[in-house]
Amino acid sequence: MKKKEWRNILVVLVLVAALVLVKELKLVSTSNLLILQYIGIYSILVLGINIVNGYLGIFSLAHAGFMAVGAYAAALSTRYLFTSQWMFPLALLVGGLASLCVGLLVAIPSFKSKGDYLAIITLGFSLMIQSIFMNAEFVGASRGMNNIAIYTNIYWVYGVLFVMIQVVMRFVNSKYGRNLKAIREDQVATELVSVNVRQAKTIAFALSAFLAGIAGALMCHLLGYTSPSSYGYNNIIDGLVMVYIGGVGSITGSIAGALLWQIIIQTLKDLGTWRWVVGGLLLCVVMIFMPNGIFGYQEIGTAVRGLFARLTKKHAKEDVTHGE
Amino acid sequence: MENNNAVVSFKNVCMYFGGVKAIDDITFEVEKGRIFGIIGPNGAGKSTLFNVLTGVYTPTSGEIYYGDTLINKLEPHVIIGKGIARTFQNIKLFNSETVLDNMKVASASHIHYNIADALLQTKAFRREEALIETDCLSILEHMGLQQYANHIAGSLPYGIQRKVEIARALCCRPDLLLLDEPAAGMNPAEVDDLNRLIVDLRDHYKLTVLVVEHQMRLVMSICAEVLVVNFGKKLAQGKPEEIKNNPDVLAAYLGKAR
Repeated sequence: MKKKEWRNILVVLVLVAALVLVKELKLVSTSNLLILQYIGIYSILVLGINIVNGYLGIFSLAHAGFMAVGAYAAALSTRYLFTSQWMFPLALLVGGLASLCVGLLVAIPSFKSKGDYLAIITLGFSLMIQSIFMNAEFVGASRGMNNIAIYTNIYWVYGVLFVMIQVVMRFVNSKYGRNLKAIREDQVATELVSVNVRQAKTIAFALSAFLAGIAGALMCHLLGYTSPSSYGYNNIIDGLVMVYIGGVGSITGSIAGALLWQIIIQTLKDLGTWRWVVGGLLLCVVMIFMPNGIFGYQEIGTAVRGLFARLTKKHAKEDVTHGE
Repeated sequence: MENNNAVVSFKNVCMYFGGVKAIDDITFEVEKGRIFGIIGPNGAGKSTLFNVLTGVYTPTSGEIYYGDTLINKLEPHVIIGKGIARTFQNIKLFNSETVLDNMKVASASHIHYNIADALLQTKAFRREEALIETDCLSILEHMGLQQYANHIAGSLPYGIQRKVEIARALCCRPDLLLLDEPAAGMNPAEVDDLNRLIVDLRDHYKLTVLVVEHQMRLVMSICAEVLVVNFGKKLAQGKPEEIKNNPDVLAAYLGKAR
């Protein structure tokens, strides 16, 4: 136990050192620095999506709506309320909490509906949120909000990501996480072993929305603007792709998904519009050969151990045949 | 209540699905500490009795009491929390989880830490998690299943899965255990084992057991009282020997001699 703690502290120190090197010594170009921040922010979003779509096993498309609510709420709060930079964490919290409240509402249809129907309901929710911001004059309607203070930097992104990973890890390893996984397997049986399914789903949607809201808040304070068009179909699909490439029901998978998809998108940039074709093709390949994503339902530790066990087993088998 | 010793009492309970009378005016009581059998031909409404008792369906009319509490309008998780637990006719384990995790889920109503405890991993969180783990392991050990604790439930053989489901039900810490065809697909030797297990669990955990079953080998040897249902109606109730010789029951099972 002690040894493990020391190892964790060491890992954190190395990561912090890496961040400082990257940012202060300008080891990477400005555009790559921006991409690194995208990866961090999308990791937070994907962690959020994964709670509902992965651990709870409900195909929800509400994340674009959650992200939009978080972004607008945080942007409004830094404009009118938390006007100095040191108040930025409060703005992030406002974004997360605003989104969380909406998440509580979106959980309600999930009590009765499921499958395709719930996907359509949550899609409707996301598009509805987009239309609301599209028509609300006080947030700039379709022009969106510009001149948002640029408070987000790489420390904020990765600091928040680190905290969120801890939150999600502890959440899924508690009774709350166990309940979600049980509902995914068999909702009736879960209810009949005394779990309050409605409460469990509400908590899942709330946490999922909270994470998406914080991602939205970070994003708009990184770009300096936010507009309704950022939270439409593209955002919905981006989020899903990252979850399903990286791995459903996995924290490692969430981060791997965000990392991989951003790298793919950026490296294929030269292809212009064709990058969506190549990216889509890659997605198809992953889905055919790894339907649960690269880290589906497992974390990096178990995945590596499993791979190792498979390799050694293969060797053992070969040894036996050689013996004969 | 006429009988203070009754754990469960059904009073004129009806459950209609449209025109289908799955349960039609059934009244019976189950005495504390008994093993009570429910038998009847396929489609007679036996499993529906369990489903209305555990709140999966709300009865069309009538009253169901658990002790002195009226439970027929409560939600399933509330009813289970009151001390009823059940297994399912077609096993409903969480197949991709380990046996231990299956059991921990069933301990839900006995875990009291809140979300802040979970996120901060407070003392209360760690204490309760450790406590339910020991509880679950002790149940597994009592049933001789401890070697399967870290196996994935869906990968276990059918007979073991049946037992794990009973173990999981015990994690709800019930006073009343409902077993839905626990001996389905078992050979006579296995049924004898199961008989011993049920009696042992009843004595060890101070349970009342309600069992829906087709296997007469089980019903006749361990049940103190048997209820016979046919077409949703109560056909007979009594000791196994009485039931065996009841002409109505024989007619329902073997067909009436004309």
